[in-house]
Amino acid sequence: MSEPQAPAFRRAVVALNGGPSDERIVRLVAEHARHTKAELIGVHVVEIDWTLPLDSDIAGRSEEVQRVLDAAEAVAEESKVRLEPVLLQARDVGAAIVDEAVERAADLLVVGLPYRKRFGGEFAIGRTIPYILQNAPAAVWVVRDPISEEPR
Amino acid sequence: MIGGRRPLQGRKPGDRRVRLERPHAPYFRYTGRGQLTAREAASAPTTPAGRMWASIRGFFVGRPLASEDELGERLAKKKALAIFSSDAISSSAYATEEILRVLILGGAAAMAFGLEISIAIAVLLIAVAVSYRQICIAYPGGGGSYSVSRRNIGRTVSLVAASALLIDYVMTVAVSTSSAVEQITSAFPILFDERVLIGVVAIGLITLGNLRGLREAGNIFAVPTYLFIGSAMLMIAVGTFRIVVLGEGASYGPELRDQVTGTIQPLTAILILRAFAAGAVALTGTEAIATGVPAFKPPEAKNAATTLAVMALLLGILFIGLTFLAVNFGISLIEVPVKQTVISQVAHEVYGDGVPFYLFQAFTALLLFLAANTSFNAFPRLLAILAADDYMPRQFALRGDRLAYSYGILVLSSLAAGLIVIFHGETHLLIPLYAVGVFIDFTISQTGMIRHWLRERSPGWRRRLSINAFGAALTATVAVIVTSVKFFDGAWLVLVLIPVLVGLMSFIHRQYDLQAAELRVREEGLLPGPHREQRVIIPVNGINRAVVQAVNFGRAMTRDLRAVYVTDDLDEADALRARWERQLPDVPLVVVESPYRAMISPVVAYLDILDQAWPPDKEAPLTIVVLPEYVARHWWDRLLYNQTSKRLKSALVGREHTVIADVPYRRGH
Repeated sequence: MSEPQAPAFRRAVVALNGGPSDERIVRLVAEHARHTKAELIGVHVVEIDWTLPLDSDIAGRSEEVQRVLDAAEAVAEESKVRLEPVLLQARDVGAAIVDEAVERAADLLVVGLPYRKRFGGEFAIGRTIPYILQNAPAAVWVVRDPISEEPR
Repeated sequence: MIGGRRPLQGRKPGDRRVRLERPHAPYFRYTGRGQLTAREAASAPTTPAGRMWASIRGFFVGRPLASEDELGERLAKKKALAIFSSDAISSSAYATEEILRVLILGGAAAMAFGLEISIAIAVLLIAVAVSYRQICIAYPGGGGSYSVSRRNIGRTVSLVAASALLIDYVMTVAVSTSSAVEQITSAFPILFDERVLIGVVAIGLITLGNLRGLREAGNIFAVPTYLFIGSAMLMIAVGTFRIVVLGEGASYGPELRDQVTGTIQPLTAILILRAFAAGAVALTGTEAIATGVPAFKPPEAKNAATTLAVMALLLGILFIGLTFLAVNFGISLIEVPVKQTVISQVAHEVYGDGVPFYLFQAFTALLLFLAANTSFNAFPRLLAILAADDYMPRQFALRGDRLAYSYGILVLSSLAAGLIVIFHGETHLLIPLYAVGVFIDFTISQTGMIRHWLRERSPGWRRRLSINAFGAALTATVAVIVTSVKFFDGAWLVLVLIPVLVGLMSFIHRQYDLQAAELRVREEGLLPGPHREQRVIIPVNGINRAVVQAVNFGRAMTRDLRAVYVTDDLDEADALRARWERQLPDVPLVVVESPYRAMISPVVAYLDILDQAWPPDKEAPLTIVVLPEYVARHWWDRLLYNQTSKRLKSALVGREHTVIADVPYRRGH
């Protein structure tokens, strides 16, 4: 028997950052989920500044925030897979994603990584993905955006 | 909502998060800046009666499809051939019979011309098919001859083409259904008296199938078409083998041979022309593919053109083959004691009296029922194109739950069922009305294509132009022949109906034009706010919560408001006035005494005198009649309330410078 291309999963939490990588990762996970009939949960976290109460009415009113989840749901539907959209407000994005994955008993966490450089030209991974890699109990897929330009 | 939601604790102290509800999510999806797309739940009915109707409809027609599913509903070539070609292919089942029905008058010598006539019709078929392939490619938007002539000839001619097509599509349903019923009654004569009922029920079932959408209709209808094609081809092969190789076959009986002696040549020539005209019904349905190009999967035009070529090839083989067998087996018409169709006699001759014969009859009947289906696709599509161009009511351009043009489908089935009832399901009574329109249509479309090529002058235009010119000349000749030989048998009716329909469509177009001119707003510059004065009139029945809510609504709009109380009891009016002045002193109350107890007319008359009293040098004000309305809790108690308001509303609808505003009062508001 041949090795499967990707490990099977039952329930995956897909972290959505509202960027162009969302469509790519949802499509990728949905294609796998379609064959395994796995559940997909799309999570978008709005980071709330410490100056505001955590439950202040920020994300609920934002059309842009809602669009992130609606677009992900539509992409999953195109692959004939249902994605449950979840909108969170939290102080720390990484912690909220990991906690949601734990609560949902997800066995896969998928995050997109935009290809960004720090001032000075060094690749910047940010702080959310390292946090997830260190703390998520489930398997983690990190899908990096393609490099649009050849590095000099 | 958020305020009441307790933050969820994370694994580490301080890691807390709030999960937000998304109330829009079941009903809408944000798809762009300031743009929402409704989901299925938002389109679902909200009342119990509406939900019940929707579930009944869902059971018969299927669940609603989203517009984005349209591409999935498109047809692959195999299904499209079954859907759009069943009409043309099925005409091979009765075209031979129509030829022989005429030739029989000339005896056996004339009957022998059957094969030559069918070959001549097949040549005509090739010319028409080649020409329509060009139309598919040049006009991928569909609409066939209507679109071609509208673009290249002019409005009136295009409407003539559309009218001719519409008539022919209705006739196709009526003729093919009644012919299918004849196939059944040929095999089971006991059902002869029920032919009208069988025909109407069959149309109902095909209607239902089409309301379920194009792809499902394709699934339902594809199998019988291919079964007929397969079994008919087998029959032709076996029959031809027996005639050509085994030397079997028969000549016409002595009663037909005896007629030969007195046959006069000119009479035979006329008979042959008539037979040609009768057999030309074989070409009906050829244009359907060009009308429905957008129903094909991409590349639409190429797929449609290929399907058209396959259809013409199959039809040609079937038609010539069946006529060859009929002539060589010496088959003529049997009308008594029960009609036996020519194709059923040919099948009987080839397959004998066993199961294959009954199977073939069943396939033929099924195909003939499905031939109607071609029209069910083409007719609503043409109506939709006409509606989009404002020549038909706009509802015909709306697609139903299953992406089918439901209104067009229902109109077509009603008209065709009506024809079956009126003509008692007799095919030969319907045939004279048939095929007249289609040749007018062929001629118009090919003439349009000549002008198309002259204008476009794209590579190979000379060759294409000559194909269309040849086709136009040929079909114009056939149109004249068909119309003249069938004129007194009923074709005159078509010639009357076409101008009537053209007139109707022109009238509809003019009405829409007038409306558009009335509603047009200039495209440049800012549109100013209201500049007319407004006044509010509130008919009241006393002081209650509904009235107070209506008065407050009026107060928000203007200071010029007054309440009107119509009564025949002045004591009651005095009591109301006393209370009104105490509780609503800023709103004048006008009491209209109505000694004849009328409630509506005095209000209208009061509005009239207000208008007349307005200074003639000032622009007339906008009168807003605010109607307090109590919202009933149950469907049955709606009868108890607001009856006067409803009557007043009917009296005021359409009144100049008047707006009616309902202010509903709901319990607890």
